[in-house]
Amino acid sequence: MLSFFQYLESLKFGAGSEYTVAFINVSHLLCLVVFIGAVLVVDLRLLGSGMKRQPLSEVVRAANPWMLGGFVGMAITGSLQVVATPMKAYFSDQFWLKMELLIVAVILAVVVRLLTASRSEAPAWGKPAGLVSILLWSFIAVQGRLIGLLQ
Amino acid sequence: MIRSWFEWVDAMPSSIAIRESVFGYPYLLTSHAVSMALFAGLIIMMDLRLLGWAFKRTPLSQVQRQLFPWQMFTMVTSSITGAILLYGQPLRYYGKVFFWTKMVLMVFAGLNALYFHYTTYKTVAAWDTTDRPPFGAKLAGALSIALWFGVVIFGRITAYNWMTFSR
Repeated sequence: MLSFFQYLESLKFGAGSEYTVAFINVSHLLCLVVFIGAVLVVDLRLLGSGMKRQPLSEVVRAANPWMLGGFVGMAITGSLQVVATPMKAYFSDQFWLKMELLIVAVILAVVVRLLTASRSEAPAWGKPAGLVSILLWSFIAVQGRLIGLLQ
Repeated sequence: MIRSWFEWVDAMPSSIAIRESVFGYPYLLTSHAVSMALFAGLIIMMDLRLLGWAFKRTPLSQVQRQLFPWQMFTMVTSSITGAILLYGQPLRYYGKVFFWTKMVLMVFAGLNALYFHYTTYKTVAAWDTTDRPPFGAKLAGALSIALWFGVVIFGRITAYNWMTFSR
């Protein structure tokens, strides 16, 4: 794994330009805003709040393209960020914690959407699932910010 | 004059305590970033409805009314964490062009929302269920996205030391 990150380092992508890294970072953040908004409307609906007058499946279906678009944007800009500063990522505990939590959060998001695609009312497990989802994504965002802060 | 207020806050014992706290800045900054993302995300979901791009089957007034309490809650959280960040390091932010740009963009974002609320939104009953909202609604949605994206961008780059004119 280390040799892969060292290989990335040898590419010198964006090397020497603080502005390139900042540009990638800001783009990542804008994708995050769209993504988290789309995730949050569904999570709030699962919690029995937010757009509760609409059927759950309708909220999920309307939010999906924006959630996916935001996620793809974050995956692209996030990967570029790693390619631009591979050693910083490799030696950051926050980075690895973020990646582990990300796997859990993605699985949860996919499972929730598969199980709610045709439900108009939130199931009993909707409340814990919605709450865990909000907490997970918030914590992932915190770790992301800390990668840049704790070095 | 503004500078002297910032200096006055800077000298307060509570401001110094926040500034000198080891974990104060990372806790405040990450809480601010997360509550900002939740807030801006919910605002943008409503803006996308205004543009007729998302939640097309849901009347705009319902999107607005049901998301509003959460928009306000997350706005209050990000405002409080932001205010404490500023309170802890007033002279650091005073000297930043990006910080002031962000403040100006926030004022415009607020004015845009108020203007929309007191003009175009008055006629919402006529176009509530259509997925082709009137030009005024689309413009308000587009401006809101642009302004809040600007706030996010300038908020993030405030953490860099570019274009800092004092200290």
